[in-house]
Amino acid sequence: MVLLFAQVLQSQGQGTDVNVILQTLYSFAFIIYLFYAQRIQTLQMLRQIEMTLRKVKIVKDDARNAAIKTITEIGKPTVDIAPRVDRFIDFFSIGLESMDPAGIVDKMDHLLKTNKHVYEAEVKALAPSATETERMNMENLIEVSQALNIFYKIIRHYYLLGKKTMNIYIIMQVHMILPQLVQMVEAYSAGIQAFQEGMPIGDGVGPIVAGKLMHGYPQRDVAEEIVAADVPYEGRTLVVFKSRGPGGSVGNPDEGLINIIEERQGKVRIIIMVDAAGKLEGEPVGQVSEGIGAAIGGSGKEKFKMEEVANKYKIPMHAIAIKQGMEHVVAPLVEPLFDATDKAIESVKRIVMDYTEPGDTVVVAGIGNTIGVGQ
Amino acid sequence: MGDKQGSAAPAASMTASWIAYAAILIVGLLSLFSLYMGFLNYSTNQDIALVYMFIGAAGFAAIGYMLFKGRSPVKQDALDVKKVEVFTTLECPKCQQKRVRDFKRGDYVFKDDEPCTRCDGMMVITRIARKKEEEKKQESSWL
Repeated sequence: MVLLFAQVLQSQGQGTDVNVILQTLYSFAFIIYLFYAQRIQTLQMLRQIEMTLRKVKIVKDDARNAAIKTITEIGKPTVDIAPRVDRFIDFFSIGLESMDPAGIVDKMDHLLKTNKHVYEAEVKALAPSATETERMNMENLIEVSQALNIFYKIIRHYYLLGKKTMNIYIIMQVHMILPQLVQMVEAYSAGIQAFQEGMPIGDGVGPIVAGKLMHGYPQRDVAEEIVAADVPYEGRTLVVFKSRGPGGSVGNPDEGLINIIEERQGKVRIIIMVDAAGKLEGEPVGQVSEGIGAAIGGSGKEKFKMEEVANKYKIPMHAIAIKQGMEHVVAPLVEPLFDATDKAIESVKRIVMDYTEPGDTVVVAGIGNTIGVGQ
Repeated sequence: MGDKQGSAAPAASMTASWIAYAAILIVGLLSLFSLYMGFLNYSTNQDIALVYMFIGAAGFAAIGYMLFKGRSPVKQDALDVKKVEVFTTLECPKCQQKRVRDFKRGDYVFKDDEPCTRCDGMMVITRIARKKEEEKKQESSWL
C-alpha cells in the first residue's frame, strides 16, 4: 500500500516541490500516528478526567460550604467552625481486620457505635444551639461532604498519578469508570439540599410505610433511636417499628428487632421488612416487589443479627422492596416513591392476611433513613 | 495543598487538546487535498485517482474515529446540581381539607403543623415530595 502510494506520488509530480512537500507531510503524519497515537489518546483521556475532576471539585466545595452555612445558621457557634469542619470532613474509620473472621460482627458493631459517638460529639461541639433533630441532619450533611471529598481525592489521585507517569493503564482505570463515578457523585450531591433542609429522602420510604401504619398509636422506645407501636389489624397484632424521626437517622433496627422478639419469647409469626432497593435499568421508580429475607443494607452487621434472631426462633422473614435509582436514594423524595409507600402498605396487609391467623403477632420493620419523617 | 495540585493541572491538558485539534486539522487538510487530487486525476489516470480517493476517505474516517473516541464519557450537563422544588401537603383529619404549599425548614411527615382554616382541627403534614420528574424518552417500546 505504502509502496503503491509512493509510486503514485512519484508518477504525479516527477520530483516537483509540491510532491516533496506532500511526501514529507504524509511521512510525518504516518510517523506521528505510528508513535504518538497512544499518547494522543492518553492526553485526551487525561483531559476528560480533568474536566470531570473540576466539576467534582465544585460539587465537593458546595457541599462543604453548605455544611458550614447550615451549622452556622442553626448551631450558632461562637467561634469560626470552618477549620474544624475541614478537619472532620477528612475524618476516616479504619476497616476491620478479617484474617480471623470469628467475632467480626461484634467488632463491627463496636466500630460503628464508636463512629456514631464521634459524629455526635463533633456535631454537638460544632452546633451547640441545635436541637437533636437538627444535629442528626447535620451529621448526614457532613457525611455527604465526606463522601464527596473522598470521590474527589480518589479521582485526583489517579489523574495526577496518570499525568506523572503517563501510563495509559493507570489513566484508563479511572477513565473507564468515570460515568459510574459521576453518577455516584451526582447521587450524593442531590442529598445536600435534603440534609440541609431536613427533607424526606428516597431511602426514607421504609420509615414512611412504618410511620403510616403506626401513626396515632401509643409508641415506645425499643432500642437506641428505634420506636415501636402495637397496631391491631384484622385480629392480629402488628408490632411496627422504625427509626425515631424526624432527624436523619437509621437507628439500630437489628437491636429493635431482637428486643421485640425476645420480649415475646420468640412468639412472632412472621417478620416483614420494608426497605428501599436499587432498581435495575428499565425498572420503573417506585415499583414494589415482594420476596423473602432480610431487606436491609448497610455494613451487614444489622442483616447478620436480624437473620440470627429470625433463625433462632425459626421466624419467616418477608421482604418488601421499593425500587429506586441511585440518584433517588439521598435526594429529596419524588412523588412516585411517596405513592409507592401506599402500595407497600397494601403488600404488608396482604402478606399478613395470607401468612398469619387471627391472634398472631407480626413484626413490621420500616428500614431506612427517617429524615423528615415523624411517626 | 490539594488546591495547588488541582490548579497546576489545566495548562498541560489545554496544550494536549490543542495538539489533538491541530493533528485533526492537518489530517483533514491532507485528506481534502487527496480527494481533490483524486477527482483531478480521475479522467486521465483512474488507478492513481482511486488511490488518492482511498487515502482521502481513510483520512476522514480516521478523523471521525478520533472525534468519536475523543468524546467525553461524561455528559456535558453532568454534575450541574440544581435545587429542586419540594412541596408539603397538609390535611385536616377532621374535615379532610387539603392544602399544598412550598416546603419550609422544620416540616416533616406526620407533623401537626397549623390549625385548620375550615374547622377547629389541626392540619397534619401527610406528604413531602418533589414534583414528578419529566418522563425520559422510552428506549424501545418492547422493553
